[in-house]
Amino acid sequence: MNIAKLLRTGVAALAITAAAGAIPHAAQASVPLTETGSSLLYPLFNLWVPAYTASHSGATITTTSTGSGAGIAQSIKGLVQIGASDAYLSDAVVKGHPTMLSIPLAISSQAINYNLPGIASLNLSGPILAGIYEGKITKWNDPAIAAANPGVTLPDHVIVPIHRIDGSGDTFIFSQYLAFSDKDWASTLHYGTSISWPAVSGGIGANGNPGMVTALQNNPYGVAYIGISFAKQVAAAGLGQAALLDKHGEYVLPTEETISTAASSVASTTPADERISIVFTPGVNAYPIVNYEYAIVNSQQPNKATAAAIRKFLTWAVNEGNATSFVSQVHFLSLPAAVKALTVAQIKTIK
Amino acid sequence: MKLRPFRLFVLILSLFIPAALVAVILFLVIYSGQAIVFNGLHFITNVNWNLGDLYDDPVVVRGIQVPAGAAYGVLAFIVGTLATSALAILIAVPLSIGTAIFLCEAVPEIERATWRYFPWLPPLRQALAMLVELVAVVPSVVFGLWGVAVLIPFLGHYVSPTGNGYGLLAASIVLALMITPIIASTLYDALSQVPKENRESAFALGSTHFEVVTKAMLPMVRTTLIGGIVLALGRALGETMAVLMVSGGGINILPTSLFSPISTIASFIVSQLDSAETDPTNMAVRALSEIALVLFLITLAVNAGAKLLSSGALNVRKPQ
Repeated sequence: MNIAKLLRTGVAALAITAAAGAIPHAAQASVPLTETGSSLLYPLFNLWVPAYTASHSGATITTTSTGSGAGIAQSIKGLVQIGASDAYLSDAVVKGHPTMLSIPLAISSQAINYNLPGIASLNLSGPILAGIYEGKITKWNDPAIAAANPGVTLPDHVIVPIHRIDGSGDTFIFSQYLAFSDKDWASTLHYGTSISWPAVSGGIGANGNPGMVTALQNNPYGVAYIGISFAKQVAAAGLGQAALLDKHGEYVLPTEETISTAASSVASTTPADERISIVFTPGVNAYPIVNYEYAIVNSQQPNKATAAAIRKFLTWAVNEGNATSFVSQVHFLSLPAAVKALTVAQIKTIK
Repeated sequence: MKLRPFRLFVLILSLFIPAALVAVILFLVIYSGQAIVFNGLHFITNVNWNLGDLYDDPVVVRGIQVPAGAAYGVLAFIVGTLATSALAILIAVPLSIGTAIFLCEAVPEIERATWRYFPWLPPLRQALAMLVELVAVVPSVVFGLWGVAVLIPFLGHYVSPTGNGYGLLAASIVLALMITPIIASTLYDALSQVPKENRESAFALGSTHFEVVTKAMLPMVRTTLIGGIVLALGRALGETMAVLMVSGGGINILPTSLFSPISTIASFIVSQLDSAETDPTNMAVRALSEIALVLFLITLAVNAGAKLLSSGALNVRKPQ
């Protein structure tokens, strides 16, 4: 009897919910949005959403950190309205789902960190890193590394290459740097959010950026790629930051200046759909591992109110949300003006 | 026979769990169907795992669309799963037997006088037994954190010849700590239910305390010990997060020493799922569900083996 009563209540509740869903929304702002995806973008969304909801009464946005792949997949399936991703959609995905947009929201980058006692500065290049991660360069005093570091006494010690085990946008841009600067890597291992890491004896996989920092700290003579958002933790752990060979032929450290040089060097060549890599770009003094952080959004939303709510939030994110006070907290950079114009044009197509 | 409403209700309820199990198996088989056809037997004999180039156009192999260069070989993960679990059991069983015997036979009695002054003190034995059971419910991620913060630097500094603490041994130790209380508490319960008469007759025959425990008590709880090990194995085989944190995530490589990075099936599925979801052909997710099927079969085999052991079917001493 009780169960029957409970069932009736449940059915009634469902009916009410369904009816509520059918009623057109009176106020646009009350459409709840859900964001999921990249763990690198998640901290920025968590800065944005409270500020946005404070200035836009009635707006509700739920943010979750699940990983770029989940962000893309759930946005395509329509489970979430905004998917966050460190990587743009592939050609094959766009071909299968032509209404899916890759909308840049901010600029991020990645550092190559090392744990070499007593060595304060180190130069590395794409081919050297490719050699290390393929197991072809096994010792720190290898001639290739020595040639890039004149005057530095390198230890005669086995290198411990550390990579991400979980699928990650960091792996994506790191492997892009290797693929764009080393032909061998490009033809065998390509690039992606997960790589079929070659068997290197002593190589280690770590989980997430925090795991990368700990693994590098625990392994002297290690080298690792770590998202720039973790710069503070890396510095606190006493780990070194390598200067990387850019396309122009110079060794460049990741600074605000070199990262924005890289970003502005592609600003004029960015296509309308903004699916472009900022890794290993031409340009003097341009840091080679830089990327756009993307919102993956379906341009055909199920109803007008949802589309309007998404447009409103994303427009806010690339204008007010791109202020230094927000992006610098997570070590990101704002979009260059030319890119912002393209982004705004893309946001307008959401219907 | 008349079907009474109550019986019908209970019958439906009792069918629920088997139905869920069948549904899971069916889902796994159907969903991974294309992957099973594409991979064939190479799936479990190859070490090479490659999602392929997800950013290039997919290619068609044997009539199935897959990313260019995709290869799915999971031998390394099967080996990793079995090796960590076996090592963990190897470490945990002696520890658990020791703990259970200590709890049952060797906990020092608290003097009566102490009780008078501290009447709120629980009996020491119960307190210790409760403590052991408490360890069994500690979330696995806590063990993982301890592994990363304490165990790995320790192994790296003092044990590992290469200075690297991540790998097979670290994962096995973390798993062993997780499963020891499971085996120990089941064994303790069984030991404390060994009839007093058996114990006392053994003493009366002139056995030492050691002989009483090893010859009169332990043989009586063998079945329970096997049951406890199976329970523990179930947890060890399926453990995900703690393993992911300390295993070193080996891929494309078979373990050669205790300090080789490894991946277990469960931890590998978790680590690859996100990238697999970006595969436009969806083959990567199908291959992952095929690995899940393999894990399922492994746990099934372990359970079946244990049933045979504990039922006495393989008992050579008492052929009946």
